[in-house]
Formats: sequence, structure tokens, C-alpha cells
Amino acid sequence: MAKKRKRISTGSAVFDVVNYSLLLLFALITFIPFVHVVGSSFATSAEVANTKFLLFPTEFTLTAYKYIFSTDTIFRALFVSVLVTVGGTLWSMLFSTLTAYGLSRRDLVGRRVINFLIVFTLLFNGGMIPTFLVVQQTGLLNSLWALIIPVTINAFNMIILRSFFMNIPTSLEESAKIDGANDFSILFRIVLPISLPALATISLFYAVTYWNTYMHAILYLADADKWPVQVLLRQIVILASGVNYDGAAFDDVPPPEVTVKMATIVVATLPILLVYPFLQKYFAKGALLGSVKG
Amino acid sequence: MGTSTVIQDKNTLKKKRKSETWKKLRKNKYLYLMIAPGLIYFLIYKYLPMYGLIISFQDYKPYQGIMGSEWVGFEHFQRLFTSPEFWMIFKNTLVLFALQLLIYFPVPIILSLMLNEVRHSLFKRGIQTIVYIPHFMSWVVIVSISYVMLTLDGGIINEILDSIGLSKINFLLNEDWFRPMYILQVIWREAGWGTIIFLAAITAVDPQLYEAARMDGAGRFRQMWHITLPAIRNVIIILLILKIGDVLELGFEHVYLLLNSSNRNVAEIFDTYVYVAGLQQGQFSYSTAVGFFKGGVGLVLVVFANWLAKKFNEEGIY
Amino acid sequence: MSNMKRFLALIIMILFAIVLTACGDSSEESGGGDNTSNNDTEENANSDEESDESDEAYSFTIMANLHTPEVPDEKVLNKIEEATNTDVEIQWVPDNNYEDRLNTAFATSSLPQAVFMKNQTTFLQFREAIEDEQFWELDDYLDEFENLKKLKENVQDNTRVNGKLYTLYQGRPLSRQGIIYRKDWADNLGLAAPTTTDEFMEMARAFTEDDPDGNGKDDTFGVTDRSDLVYGAFKTVASWFGTPNEWGEKDGQLLPEFMFDEYKQTMDFFKEMHENGYINQDFPVTSKTDQQEFFKNGSAGIYVGSMGDVISLYNDAVAINPEVEFDVHNQVKGPHGEFGIWAIPGFGNLVMFPKSSVETEDDLRKILAFFDKMMTPEVANTAYWGIEGEHYEVVDGFAKVLDSEVSEREVKPYQAIEIGEAETSGRYEGYFEYEPKAKSEELFKDNENYLIENPTVPLYSETFVQDGARLQQIITDATYNYIIGQLDEAGFEAAVENWQSQGGDKIIEEFNASE
Repeated sequence: MAKKRKRISTGSAVFDVVNYSLLLLFALITFIPFVHVVGSSFATSAEVANTKFLLFPTEFTLTAYKYIFSTDTIFRALFVSVLVTVGGTLWSMLFSTLTAYGLSRRDLVGRRVINFLIVFTLLFNGGMIPTFLVVQQTGLLNSLWALIIPVTINAFNMIILRSFFMNIPTSLEESAKIDGANDFSILFRIVLPISLPALATISLFYAVTYWNTYMHAILYLADADKWPVQVLLRQIVILASGVNYDGAAFDDVPPPEVTVKMATIVVATLPILLVYPFLQKYFAKGALLGSVKG
Repeated sequence: MGTSTVIQDKNTLKKKRKSETWKKLRKNKYLYLMIAPGLIYFLIYKYLPMYGLIISFQDYKPYQGIMGSEWVGFEHFQRLFTSPEFWMIFKNTLVLFALQLLIYFPVPIILSLMLNEVRHSLFKRGIQTIVYIPHFMSWVVIVSISYVMLTLDGGIINEILDSIGLSKINFLLNEDWFRPMYILQVIWREAGWGTIIFLAAITAVDPQLYEAARMDGAGRFRQMWHITLPAIRNVIIILLILKIGDVLELGFEHVYLLLNSSNRNVAEIFDTYVYVAGLQQGQFSYSTAVGFFKGGVGLVLVVFANWLAKKFNEEGIY
Repeated sequence: MSNMKRFLALIIMILFAIVLTACGDSSEESGGGDNTSNNDTEENANSDEESDESDEAYSFTIMANLHTPEVPDEKVLNKIEEATNTDVEIQWVPDNNYEDRLNTAFATSSLPQAVFMKNQTTFLQFREAIEDEQFWELDDYLDEFENLKKLKENVQDNTRVNGKLYTLYQGRPLSRQGIIYRKDWADNLGLAAPTTTDEFMEMARAFTEDDPDGNGKDDTFGVTDRSDLVYGAFKTVASWFGTPNEWGEKDGQLLPEFMFDEYKQTMDFFKEMHENGYINQDFPVTSKTDQQEFFKNGSAGIYVGSMGDVISLYNDAVAINPEVEFDVHNQVKGPHGEFGIWAIPGFGNLVMFPKSSVETEDDLRKILAFFDKMMTPEVANTAYWGIEGEHYEVVDGFAKVLDSEVSEREVKPYQAIEIGEAETSGRYEGYFEYEPKAKSEELFKDNENYLIENPTVPLYSETFVQDGARLQQIITDATYNYIIGQLDEAGFEAAVENWQSQGGDKIIEEFNASE
């Protein structure tokens, strides 16, 4: 008996060493390019041009950040992005949760057909122009709602959420029903509190989608003051990378500095990067069961 | 457990008569109320614009509108299927899809299983946060970083190869390197992000199960295999079906940026082909037809995958 | 449970707040989006003031491409509006997505009153719509405007559709192409600026092999190029060899450039440079930024492209190495003993006026009157150089930019709505303290004596518009592959045949027929 336990724990220790090292290695590989981006954003443009793959600048400067913060464009864009992301995520979560829960209930007549029709929208879309017309007809053009309402429910996210709900033991719901609770109160009082990891995950998915919204802003918002930060970011990255460069049109415009590009990436990415660590507490092992008991 | 309910449910459904269906509808009126806003959304913003698909059977001219444009039947489809590049593109698409499915898809699952075994919460959170960062870098940035590392003109990888006496490798202008580069970049950017959903699913596992397994003398691998993995099986299958439906969506921007004169034979996919052949010249009808075709292929595969899942008593996606 | 309630309360509160702010947004903009009526309040206040002073400033919207990182503030625009008695709204669209927006707006009849086309390619795509009379024809109106009248006939002819004029053009120097090279390296090695392609090759060789920077290390190469056969080095070198500009005449027939021997000579020239390492090995995948970095950091010594780039290259290079010295040069003779240089059609951008939004002749006249005033020296200087004393000063009759960073932010974007060029509008030309930059401006003018024009610019081929880009891909690929040695001559011939059979023959036929 004692012998057996010991064998397991050595195996376990080896497992841990291998596991930790592999994870560390993978994290390192994914982290290096990010270090490159951050490092370059604090370097002088001369050093960036002179160093092949800069990780840590020898001369530390805030020039690039001063440049991008010298007008209020980026503040305005960040504000729009935060507004759209927070508002859009709440909006989307509200409707996705309702729809997903409704469709998760196995006794709902017609749910298979409805589910199929929703899957169908993942595969076919009418294209840019008809969608634009619908957005126009529903009066959303040039309002920030145009970035939110046309993407209210992401079918992919809804399906995942639905499958999380389906994993909840039906006994919980049934006992509530016997107590006379209706479906709304079951959803809000019983199902949602024990689905926090799923809700956190899907919220994160929505938040990231809203944060990255870009094409819709260009198509639907004529007023450049309402552009979210991704439009600015893309514009700088593409100009600075010199892709799709049309020489005849604008020859005398020097591309933005690489350092400015990197600083913009940092500023436009940091806010959304910070969301995840805050959500991590919902991913703790056994979080779900704990909340059922409590 | 979920699956047996479905079967029961199906059997009982069959037996029920109309009046009972009616009763069920009434009983679930709140549920219908719940899904109503969502359905209205799909109707207005997803189904309404689908009339746009009919331009794939037209010679659509923006100023003539859908009503005024000339009908051409299957001409655009015919053009697609008979174009000399069609099979090359089809094959490239399938190969990249296979790489996505066989090489990329398991990575986030394995990563999340590994993360789940980490007991130091700070280490775990730190790693999680780091591996999820690349998802936020655009392909333009990732591809340009790859260029800087791999180029023959002073790229660090080739400098290292050179300094240890090996010959330089032409990573960028050689079609053999396109696929490895593509899939490695996909893994690099998306694997960490992909773990989130599995980690969320893993939270549902009752810790007592591990306790019991340890009592039975199960090692870490066996715990993973017999407890953790079955717990997230549902999510895996659903993601797999959704992924299969996405067969022809391989990331336009990514492939487009990697595409060059030397690797076009293996790198040209439907999206990049349409971009050059269609959108650049404003050929709406042709690119819509290609989109239609892609959707059709996706639909067939999804229906098949879903059927297969149900065959094995899994939940499926509809 | 109480957690949940608090959470819900929070959600509801935030939702409420958003509904409020966003509704405020949308009601303010109601009916907007399509075109004119979306001014922010500040601007409304502004225009109110204006309308008190001078009644009814004509209000309309221009859609233009944004080629700078940020949308500019409206300081310069306000000045233009003041001078032209208009209330102009500019709908900026990021350059990279301009076609998406243009096509969507066009297909949904929501184009504003004045629409820039971005470039010649986009303009060609609108040809059918133009033939369908979706845009105003301008021939009958231009004579009414004393400044628009001055626009160059030959450039206008390049934009005519079936002989009719629909556009106002934005002028560009016909050819800015030439060499920028390391003068200090050339001096070290006793080389002069290359006057023939052989001397060019010798310079590329010497810069690669003879340690031009004298550091004793084999760490330099000759030419730095990028993945662009047109605005990179290839087309300019091809001109030196006497290759036609896209299309040329051979035995009385118009044929594409790659069917000419000179094109193949150019490919062989590049192949030799590539084989010997005189050019960056990965140039077919090198971006403009990376290409320029090789030049700035002293890896490469020759840059073939727009000579105007010399100043931005120098500014960065001198920060790395204060000793660096650049020079520009244009005339390089090919083996046939002549110098020639390819030309663009003389315009960079074109503006058109959709009938769907410009409803009456009266409106058209008012918009044209705006562009007419844009071509007066006063307004043209504002749009191009900004505000005198703030953005630029006049030195010897030239405009000298005071702070290039401020100018790039506040003024440069408005160059997107310029009409004509310095010659026709009478605006100042640039004053440059950096000598090679001033020289490059002179060399642009010198280039005009040796231009190789594209004979198909005024011609039309439907197949070319529909399939040209895809077909060109075949040739572009084959050209690169030939240069880097992945394709032999027979392979290149096969690619040309492929081009012909997939629609190229039809293009040849159509261009020749429309001549």
C-alpha cells in the first residue's frame, strides 16, 4: 500500500516537471513577439531600424507614446471602443442567454428546426450590400448601435452557451418548477448563478469581438469621430507595414514610424488584455459545484 | 445522461398527439417569449439580407440593383468549376483544413488539460494570460514578425543556422515551407485563446471525482483520460462540428499575407482567389457565387458531422 | 444570490446609460449617415455663426481616402470653407478599405455629392456605371469656371469615357522614378552616379563586394527592393532597357510589355543581381518598410523608386549614422544607348459627382464652384500647405514646411481633395533645405523629357477591366520566379501563353480594336 502510493507520487512529480517545463516553453514562445512589440514601442526609431529583432531597447524613450497621445484621437477612439465593448457585451449576453436557455430546454417544441436555422446563418450570409441596406433601413447608420445591433447574437457563442446550459442537471430545474417558479425565475435564480464560468467565457468572446470591430465601423459610420480604436490601429499598422501600397496616389507621405505602430498596438490591445485576468476567478476548478452548494 | 433524455424525449414526442403538442406550447410560453427577441434578430439581420445570394445567378450591376440586373443562371458557378485553378484551389483548401483539424484542433485541448494539472494558481494564471496574448495581434503584425525572423536577408533564424555552419533555408520563397509556416502561426496565435472554452468546461468537474480516482490508484494521465476529458467531451464535439462547417474559412487575411509568387500553387485558397479575381474588380456576382459554393460545402459537412454525432448518441448542434 | 442581484442591477443600470447616450447619438444623427446632415454640435455652432455673416454657405459632402494615420482636425478645413463660402463635410475612409465603402455606398445609392475614386483602377471599375450616366458629365460646365478651365487637356483626355469628361483630376508629377544611392559609399570606392545599366550593375557589385562602408565586414549589398514590380525597382530598370510602359507597339500592334525582348533583358538583369547577391534575396516578399530599413541602416546602398523618398529616408538614416550621405540620380541609359522613364497618366486621384446625390444642375454648379475656388492659389495653398505662418512660410516663392510632424497631421490629409497641380492652380511648390530633395524635384521635371507613356490609358478593354488583375498575377508570379531562378525561359514563355489563352488574347484584340 505504502509502496504503491510512493510510486504514484514519483510519477506525479515527473509529470509535474515535464508539464511545467512544456507550458513554460510554450508561454515563452508566445511571449517573445509581444516583448518585441512592447520593446520596440519604447525604442528610438533609429534603434528599431538598426536592430533586426529588438527585444529590449538600449535607449528608452517615450517619443512614440507622446506622439500618439498628442492629439485626442486615440482617447476618443478608446472611449468609443470601451463604450461599444461594455454596452455590446451586456446587450449580446442578455439576448444570447435568453435564446440559449430557451433552446436548451429539451421539451421545447420546434427547437431542432430553430437550431438548424441558426446554424444555417453561420454558413450563408447575404453579403455586404444587402446587410448594409438592412442596417440603413433599420435606422442605425452613423449610430454606435450599428456596431452592436447587427451582431446581437453570434450563433457560435449562442450554441456553446446552449450546450453549457444543457449540461445542467434537469433535476435542479424540475424541483424549482414544483415550487411554482416560472421559466424566467428559473433562468435568473438557478441557472445563471451556477453558469458563471460559461457566462464569463462567452462574455469574454463577445467583448473581444466588439473590441476588434473594424469593418462595420468603416461601412456604417460616416462620422470619423465615432470610429473605434481598431480603425486607427489598422490604419497605422497597414500604412507602417507598407502593404497594398499605391505609389501613384501618395508618394510623398512617409509611412508612420515603426515605433508609433508598435505603441499603437500596445495602447489598443492593453485594455482588452486586462479583461481576462479579472475573469479568471470564474475558471477556478470546482467553481461551479461550489456555487450549486452555496 | 443528457443523451438518454434526448432519446426518451424523441420517443415520447412521437407518441404525443396534436392536442398535447398544443399543451406543451402553452406550458412553455415563457420559453418562447425568451427566444423571441433572438429569433427576430436572426430574421432581420441574418435572413433578410440573404436575398442578396440571388445575385450569384445574375450579372449584378450595382446601379441596376437586384431587380434590374440580368439573370445568367449558373454561369458564375460554371466559371468557377471550369476555371483551370479550381482543383488546385480546392485541394489547397482541403489540405489547410486537414492541417487545422488534425494538427491545430487538438492543441488547445491538450494545453487546457495541461493547465488543469497545474496546482500553483499563480503560475497557472500567469501562463494562461501570456498564451492568450497573441490572439490580439493582427495577422499583419504576425506575418511581418515572421518575415523578420525567417528572411534570408539577415533573419535571425538563418543567421543562427549560418553561424553554426548549416546552410541557410529559404523559408519564404519556397512552397514546401508554406504549410508548416501557416499551421505554426495558427497554433501560435490561437492555441492559447482556444483553451479558454475548455478551461471553462473543466470547471464543471467535481473535484471529488479526482479524489476518488486517486484512492483507486489512478495516475495523472489516467485521471486526465477518464475524468477530465469525458467532462469536456460535449464541448469538444460541438466545437468540432462548428469547425467542420467552417471548412472553407481558413483566414483570408492570414493566407493572403503569406501568399507569394513562389507558393501560390499550395497557398491559393478560395478567399484569396476571389479577392483577386472578383472583389478587386468589383465582380459582386462571382464572389457571391463562390461564397454560396463555400456555404454549400460547409452545410453538407455540418449535416453529416451532426448526423454522425447523433449516431454516437452525442448532443450535436441542432 | 445577493451577488447575482447586484450583478443584474448593474447590468440594467449600464444598459440604461448606454441606451441613453446612444439614443442621444442616433436622434441627433437621424436621417444622417447617408450624406450631409451629420455634423457634430460644435460644427453646427460654427456654421450658424458663418451663416450670420455671409448668408447660405452651400453645404455638401465629399468622400475621400485617408492616407494618414489619423483623421485631421478641422482647422484647415474651416479655413477652406471660409474662403469658399461653403459648409463642407468630408467623409474620410481609410485608404485600405476605400473600395469596400465606395462599392457599398454606390450600390445602395448613398454616395455623397463629390466622390474621389482613389485611383485609376477603381475608376476603371466604374466605367459601366459612367456609361450608364450615373455621374454628371462635365464638358458643358467647365468653361464656366475660370480655374477649372485651366486643367490640362492631355491629362483630362486620359480620364475620358467614350470621349466624354466626367471627372476633375488631382495632378501628379508624371514620373518621380529614379535612384537614391549612398554618395559616401560611392565616393569611398571612387564611383560616380551610374549613367548606364552596366555602371549600375557595377555599382551594385561594388557595394556588395568591395566593402563600401570600410568596416572590414561583408555586411552590405547593392540594391534594396520590395514586392512590387511597379513602384519597386523593376519597372524603372525596365524603362532604362527601353521596355514599353505596360503596353507597346510592335509590328503595328499593341502588345503587353512582357512580350518584348527588353522585358526579358530586364529580368535577366535582375536575375544576375539576385544570383550574385547584389539585391536582397527575399525581395519578392519584402515590404516597403523593410526595404527602406535596409537602406536606412546601411545594409544596402541603392534604392530605386520615387526620388522624393530621399528626405524621409535621410531623416531616419542620419539618426543611425550621422556620416551618411545620399544623392539622387535619374538618367541611366540602357544597352540601346538611350534613357527613358515610365510615366503615370498624370493624375493620382479623380473626383466624380453622382447624379443620385447631386440632383440639379444648380447643385452641380455650386459644387464645381467650390472646386474652382480650390484651384485659386490662396485656397490651393491652404489645402496643400496649410495656414501660412502656422504650417508653412514662404521662402523665395516656395513653401517651406515649419514642422513636418504637425503638417503631416493637420495638413497632409487634405491633400487628398486637391484638384489640379501647382502648375495649374498656382500654389507654391515646396522649398527644401535638404539638397538632394530639392534636386529630386528638378529631376522630376527632367524626367518629363524622356517619358514612356502607357498607350492604353485612353483605350478600353472590357476583358482587361474584368480579368486584368487576375491575369497580371500570372505574369507577376512568372517574373519573380524567373528572377529568383525557379522558372526557366521556357517556363516564362508558358506563363505568357497561359496569360494569352486565359483572356490575354482578348485583351490584345480589344485594345487594338479600340485604338
